Amino acid sequence: MTPLAVSLDVFGSLDFWIGVGLLAATYGIFTLGLQLNVGFTGVINFGQAGFMAIGAYTMAILVVEAEISFWLALGASILVAMAAGLIIGLPSLRLRADYFAIVTIAFAEIIRYTAVNARELTGGSQGIGGFDGAFLDLSDLMLEGLDSFGLGDQFLLPLLIVAVAVFGLLTVGMYFLQRSPWGRVLRAIREDEDAARALGKNAFAYKLQSISIAAALGAVAGWFLALNLAFISPTQFDPLFTFLGFAVLILGGLANYFGVILGAIILWTLLEGLRLMDLPLDASQTAALRYVLVGLVLIGLMAFRPQGMLGKRQEMVLGD
Amino acid sequence: MTEQAVPGEPDRAPEPAGDVDGEAILAVRDVAKHFGGIHAVDGASFEVRRGSITALIGPNGAGKTTLFNIVTGFQRGDRGEVIYDGASIFRRPPHVIARRRMVRTFQITKALAAMPVIDNMTLAAPDQPGEKLTGLIFRAPAARRREKEVHERAHELLDVFGLREKADDYAGTLSGGQRKLLELARALMVEPRLVLLDEPMAGVNPSLGRKLLDHMHTLRDRDGVTFLFIEHDMDVVMAHSDEVIVMAQGATIASGPPEEVRNDRAVIDAYLGASVA
Ligand SMILES: Nc1ncnc2c1ncn2[C@@H]1O[C@H](COP(=O)(O)OP(=O)(O)O)[C@@H](O)[C@H]1O
Ligand SMILES: [Mg+2]
Repeated sequence: MTPLAVSLDVFGSLDFWIGVGLLAATYGIFTLGLQLNVGFTGVINFGQAGFMAIGAYTMAILVVEAEISFWLALGASILVAMAAGLIIGLPSLRLRADYFAIVTIAFAEIIRYTAVNARELTGGSQGIGGFDGAFLDLSDLMLEGLDSFGLGDQFLLPLLIVAVAVFGLLTVGMYFLQRSPWGRVLRAIREDEDAARALGKNAFAYKLQSISIAAALGAVAGWFLALNLAFISPTQFDPLFTFLGFAVLILGGLANYFGVILGAIILWTLLEGLRLMDLPLDASQTAALRYVLVGLVLIGLMAFRPQGMLGKRQEMVLGD
Repeated sequence: MTEQAVPGEPDRAPEPAGDVDGEAILAVRDVAKHFGGIHAVDGASFEVRRGSITALIGPNGAGKTTLFNIVTGFQRGDRGEVIYDGASIFRRPPHVIARRRMVRTFQITKALAAMPVIDNMTLAAPDQPGEKLTGLIFRAPAARRREKEVHERAHELLDVFGLREKADDYAGTLSGGQRKLLELARALMVEPRLVLLDEPMAGVNPSLGRKLLDHMHTLRDRDGVTFLFIEHDMDVVMAHSDEVIVMAQGATIASGPPEEVRNDRAVIDAYLGASVA
């Protein structure tokens, strides 16, 4: 092999695309919440990884420690995440948008440090596993069906199918929610909170709803992250992941839910492609290169299409 | 509340308003607000007669905008009382006050720039069950019905204000004058009983300005809407208001019919040396 040869074989494998699809769907759902907050409400949420952690850990702990049914644990994890959204929103959403942003970063880090230190419950930095039995039963059923298409050995395919279906449904659901009178009030708050209040809208209540719905979406993303790895540990909820969510948001374009789909696919194809491509570099160089490339793509986008792929340029210009 | 009678206006009975024509729809009593050492509003008291067009005038920095902010709930007054339609609204949040059909505009126009003109309008309509998540789910047909009514009403108003062709444009693409018209049209979507306008004519070309004033009279005459507006142009104030309230240095120093106020000694003194424009 010559030192400069780069193998693109990886893009031809089904495994690769299943992996990309799972990550894109997981962080796509994650970013739907950011789109709701940032794109449609004008609330800056830097704590989405914290809600994701709450979703994943609540589910895992309820199943493993409390031995509650997996399906019930899913529902409970959404409620816990939404409650967390309310708890951080209540004291801080009345503040200026930038204060709220800082509170959300702090919140997500508190959650992560709690996960590291509450070893009894979370397994600390060792993490926690063994929560996905009920899902694997379903997965096996699906694999039996997939076997007739010769895909019976694609062990992550059932999870991909479920994740993509959930991502699709949630995207369409959020799209219609945004087109409702409720969504119109959110947009007005994004534009000018005082104007909305002068017209009888309780801006604070809407912002609270926005953040708790985003928290619920973060929790759902947390399930898929956990099921994908069969295991969760605090490093998976690093603030970096919130910023990857923002990269998806900016790539796809603000204030467009379908842009989230596009942005998620592009970002994760890029990140996973670079990770798995045979580059003449060692592992740490590849890891660094991934983020360099994401940065370059974002810079290029800002230069040539600042509104993102599906964002509306006019809304961006008029927004300020 | 044990606030005492109003020093500024000893000869007017501070009665809460009923529905009888001519009674006060709004009564402001001894309201004060300071910012650090600045007494922006310092004992302002006045009433606005139901169905009137009332002007609030005073030199720059007299506290007019701050008073509007207190009345509409955007700022908390230090003391005083504000009675609207027979009930206290002092220190109530803005959205609660707006839902009682008191709506304001802002000195610096707040068009929702990145929203289409039509959405600016439909947004403002009250009683839309689809604005609540529970309403969206459990009262979907009612929300759809309401949305249809609201669109009809919005188009009617846009017609009246000459903004019909702009319905689908972003509000940010309108001229300054058109934005002022949009803001007034949008305020009317709230089906208000009292409209507070903060310098509606500022920066508006004369022909649009005249249109705005005409609308004000029509709405008052036809629908009984009460207007309280801040205005610097004395000709406009004299020609278009039934009552004038004068503020200087945070206090209301005179009120009455335009001719009377024009010749008031205190008013002339307040304006001496202060810029009227
Ligand atoms: N938020 C604020 N902070 C500090 N001072 C203020 C604030 N708002 C208004 N003021 C001051 O209060 C006084 C009254 O202002 P304002 O109500 O805007 O007057 P007007 O509308 O009559 O021109 C001015 O001296 C102004 O500088
Ligand atoms: Mg002012």
